[in-house]
Amino acid sequence: MTTLARTSTRQRQWRGAILAYLLVAPPLLLMVLLIFIPATQSIARTLTISVDGQPGFSFSRYAAFFSDPISVNNLLFTFQVTLLTLAVIFIVCFPLSLYLRFSTGRIASAVQILALFPLFVPGIILCYALIRFLGTRGTLDTLLSLVGITGYRTPYLKPEAIVIGLVWESIPFTVLVLTAGLRQVSDTLIESARDVGAGDWTIFRRIILPLIVRPALIVFSLNFLGIFGSYTIPYLLGPAAPQMMGVFMQQTFGQYRRPDDAETQAVITFLICAFVGFLYVRTVASQRLTREEE
Amino acid sequence: MATLDLINLTKQFGTVTAVDAVNLSVQDGEFMCILGPSGCGKSTLLRMIAGFEMPTEGDIRIAGDSVTHLGANKRPTAMVFQKYTLWPHMKVFDNIAFGLQLRRLPRAEIARKVEEALALVSLSGYEERYPSQLSGGQQQRVALARAIVLEPKILLLDEPFSSLDAILRVRLREELRRIQRRLKITAIFVTHDQEEALTLADRIAVMNAGRVEQLDAPTQIYDNPATLFVADFIGAMNLLQAQVSGGRIVLSGVTLDAPPGLQDGAATVAIRPEDMALLPDAAHAGAWRAVVEQISDLGHYRRALLDVGDGTLKIYLPKSAAVREGAQVAAFPRRYLIYANGGAPREVTRALPAEALTV
Ligand SMILES: Nc1ncnc2c1ncn2[C@@H]1O[C@H](COP(=O)(O)OP(=O)(O)OP(=O)(O)O)[C@@H](O)[C@H]1O
Ligand SMILES: [Mg+2]
Repeated sequence: MTTLARTSTRQRQWRGAILAYLLVAPPLLLMVLLIFIPATQSIARTLTISVDGQPGFSFSRYAAFFSDPISVNNLLFTFQVTLLTLAVIFIVCFPLSLYLRFSTGRIASAVQILALFPLFVPGIILCYALIRFLGTRGTLDTLLSLVGITGYRTPYLKPEAIVIGLVWESIPFTVLVLTAGLRQVSDTLIESARDVGAGDWTIFRRIILPLIVRPALIVFSLNFLGIFGSYTIPYLLGPAAPQMMGVFMQQTFGQYRRPDDAETQAVITFLICAFVGFLYVRTVASQRLTREEE
Repeated sequence: MATLDLINLTKQFGTVTAVDAVNLSVQDGEFMCILGPSGCGKSTLLRMIAGFEMPTEGDIRIAGDSVTHLGANKRPTAMVFQKYTLWPHMKVFDNIAFGLQLRRLPRAEIARKVEEALALVSLSGYEERYPSQLSGGQQQRVALARAIVLEPKILLLDEPFSSLDAILRVRLREELRRIQRRLKITAIFVTHDQEEALTLADRIAVMNAGRVEQLDAPTQIYDNPATLFVADFIGAMNLLQAQVSGGRIVLSGVTLDAPPGLQDGAATVAIRPEDMALLPDAAHAGAWRAVVEQISDLGHYRRALLDVGDGTLKIYLPKSAAVREGAQVAAFPRRYLIYANGGAPREVTRALPAEALTV
């Protein structure tokens, strides 16, 4: 009887383990085949040169990238646009999320829907809409001249246009995550603080802010990844030079037909994103840990 | 450490009147329980005192001064909520110290006060823990410490122990009562648990549909419920429809004497299970003929359900009472209250026949 019971428990554990492996196998396999192997190969290739027909290890491709002013300029430009966009996203989304969390009623739900609206607009349509709206003799220009303001200078084909497009695209996701994070801060926590004498500002600084650091870090890193590697918006709205890395890579690869250089650019971009991705995973993992402590 | 006066206090949410013209005076150092069914407005009343809800009408006075227009952070009240009340990112020490820090007390004094408060709730040495490392009961004790460390004039508690298990609940409420007596703090304790209210309170305010139905000491509330609602809500009660005519109260299965001056008309007779005696002979004047349907032993007493033909009566018997299920008996009410026309109840007590099975 006992042996029977023991075998069946072991069998069940086996079955559970096999099922778990079966479930994770397809995504794992895809990741290995489509990302891990090609990435490793690419990294390896960018570190190899052929010396007298023999492959040898060298940083020369990276040296070339970092000694080329255009390449370095594009990388710096990508950082600038990314950080500026992130800053604007937070300036826009933080108050919006606070408003959505702490107000009730019809206006709040209307704003909620509006904030999610960009989610349903494909990037390319958004770009053309922005061109029509922001371009010279576009909607905004026309409206301004109607009220007598002339001399409108369009941000179209300037870095500002990229920022505007990327901010617009990132609002829904950011607001969703931030409001979800803020909803974790219960009314009771806030009322308890008010009860012991805290005013609005103290409550914000000492209670709300520390409690949403994690969701904020999560949106920060995920937005960083999306913006740093973005292509459509900088390609359609941005200047011809400098370029963001996505556009730069595509051009190096497609127009200049220099796949080796494009690969180096890709690896550099990948490593930067991988680092931010690592920060993201660490934030999420530490959150998981504290949950388990509870 | 002050009196609290609620004057004509009213709160409406849209068309819902959550609190309806409540007048209530709590004495200095008194422990008052607010008791009532779910949705009767207990929390709303408490939240208005704390300053989380603005009254639609009326005035709140603490130690004689109106606080109605002060924000929650300016009132000399402190509240203990039902749950999720500690700030999860702060250690126990900081949770308790937060209010003191806002008052800019010197560090040494803050440390001393936090230590005292923790000792008071028997949690000395827990300063460095995070709330997630405490049990539910410990968390509520810290919440209590956080409230009393500020030496509030009024301590407000909204079902603070209701998410804890029964044994812990009893222990914590006794601890709370001890602390409240020691500090002589005025406390208002909201509960929907009548046993909690009856054991803790100096006085109980029984609420129903936004109004205070009765404000009295626990024994008064139990022995002389002022309204039919209170009679039904507090403790076990047999409520029976009756017709009063010519000095008699006619119920289904029995006719009882009416107190002098009772008007003719419909009435309700209320009899506590322990105010009912069993007589061994089935026929007796002013008593029901009944069959013992079921007997349950409930520790120090027995509960019997009697079939009186037209319904069931619940009665409590001493453990020694010799009755069997299926026995033919007479059920004799020794004391009953008559509620008629929404007025104050009339009480009737009767001498117990010698052969009664009840003490
Ligand atoms: N913020 C609010 N908006 C609208 N209605 C409310 C609000 N708060 C309470 N109410 C209503 O007021 C009435 C009283 O609610 P309250 O929370 O005071 O009841 P309670 O006696 O504390 O009940 P419980 O024992 O369930 O906690 C209920 O009908 C409730 O629906
Ligand atoms: Mg309540």
